[in-house]
Amino acid sequence: MSGKKIGKRIEMHTDGDVAISVKDLHKSFNLPTEKSWGLKQAIFNRLKGKKGYVEQKVLKGLDFEIKKGEFVGIVGRNGSGKSTLLKILAGVYYPAKGRVTIDGNLVPFIELGVGFNPELTGRENVYMNGALLGFSNQEMDEMYDDIWKFAELEKFQDQKLKNYSSGMQVRLAFSIAIRAKGDILILDEVLAVGDAAFQQKCNDYFASLRDKKQTVVLVTHSMENVTKYCTRAMLLEQGKIIKDGDPKEVATAYIDLWRKNNS
Amino acid sequence: MKIPKVWNKKNRVLLRELVKTDFKLRYQGSVLGYLWALIRPLMMFAILYVVFAKLLRFGGDIPHYPVYLLVGTSMWSFFAECTSQGIQSIVLRGDLLRKISFPKYIVVVSATLTAVINMLINLVVIVVFALINGVTPSLSWLLVPLSLLELYVLSLGISFLLGAINVKYRDVTSIWDVLVQAMFYAVPIIYPISMVSASSVLASKIILLNPIAQAIQDIRHNLITAETVTTWNYLNNPIVMVSPIIVEIAILLIAALFFRKKSKFFAEEA
Repeated sequence: MSGKKIGKRIEMHTDGDVAISVKDLHKSFNLPTEKSWGLKQAIFNRLKGKKGYVEQKVLKGLDFEIKKGEFVGIVGRNGSGKSTLLKILAGVYYPAKGRVTIDGNLVPFIELGVGFNPELTGRENVYMNGALLGFSNQEMDEMYDDIWKFAELEKFQDQKLKNYSSGMQVRLAFSIAIRAKGDILILDEVLAVGDAAFQQKCNDYFASLRDKKQTVVLVTHSMENVTKYCTRAMLLEQGKIIKDGDPKEVATAYIDLWRKNNS
Repeated sequence: MKIPKVWNKKNRVLLRELVKTDFKLRYQGSVLGYLWALIRPLMMFAILYVVFAKLLRFGGDIPHYPVYLLVGTSMWSFFAECTSQGIQSIVLRGDLLRKISFPKYIVVVSATLTAVINMLINLVVIVVFALINGVTPSLSWLLVPLSLLELYVLSLGISFLLGAINVKYRDVTSIWDVLVQAMFYAVPIIYPISMVSASSVLASKIILLNPIAQAIQDIRHNLITAETVTTWNYLNNPIVMVSPIIVEIAILLIAALFFRKKSKFFAEEA
């Protein structure tokens, strides 16, 4: 893996109107085959000339540009490469080939509550999570009370996180997350949780992002969200973009794809 | 080659939060809490003291032998803790690496800084202990931080290098555990270096080329008694003399470059 030529991810800050530019993006993972681990098997494989892993191509050449102010939904079935794409945009994975250019400050939410530790108190977790999202301590101090008020969990600040219900944890994580200010937000299925009242808050947040023309890349399975919030959508299938454009048309294409594979 | 801006405010905040949580979690749920940072090395010292100083009478004519021994065991604990935490850090923080993008070195540095905090607490104990034992404070005490820095540079280098390998080959953790155990006896901690030189001068010189031995002897020399045999006053070739320091810096540089190259794939492999 090392030594091989790899792709590039570049960050910059310009006044141009393109927020994200992706050119000929490829990504594959080397997945170990069964029983390929261990010294004995390694020697065996070497002697037989076997590789001991299979190369799984996840992204097979993506090309697109996202303009500043666009709210882009990425849809596709499980395993189509959505999350891998998101992680490459976020800088978690490295592109195997191709070029990703990010113009502006990017804040990724691959998951809510990254770094949450059950053994720490709510307060400690808020500061930890805030640091991971790039907030300074001063910023955290300023928004601290609002976070708890929004989550409606003020009483539990000094309880250990393990004593929170999972719904409470999500609420806390969400109210930290929505405070993130970036030029580009990357969101992965973060709204698929919570009760009806919480869903309403999520919806309000997304509507506000849309209304203030925030650049967003959202991975979702909900066609309702795609048509409601996105100004553009992309359909991913087997590592390729098979449709890119109007959210309604993409949603229809996604449903057709799903029907075709189920009949 | 572009040198990335690694020391910005965002990374500093993250580093501080990671160190804070690491330290809190370490003693979470224990009655004595942070006191364990003090008790553990003192217990280790007490055991070694009874066995080697009292039963086997290793101390010989070394002045302030108990302090001498305490310095050795505390510094060794620092090295052992620092490296073992550092090597495992990437794997243990895999959950973070898979979800957000940040400079991976922060994880290793935060894990080793917890060991540094423990060591500094121990240093206070050593100084108190030395004063009680009748060691007279001197200007040479000011040189001690240099040796501590040296130990840290070495530990950090090893942590970066082996930590990066450990992501793919977890055997490294176990191998290192065994190696640390073995190395303990290659460093003059429980036995005075004079015991070795009595039978082989060459062997004692080789022992003093170990950067850990060199640093520990320097601390003893500067803190306790100028009679301590050190790399500087025992070896005569100046080029050989500085080799421990060159080795340490070389390890850190190579490790940093290796780590930087490998860190791109930690999210996939950790």
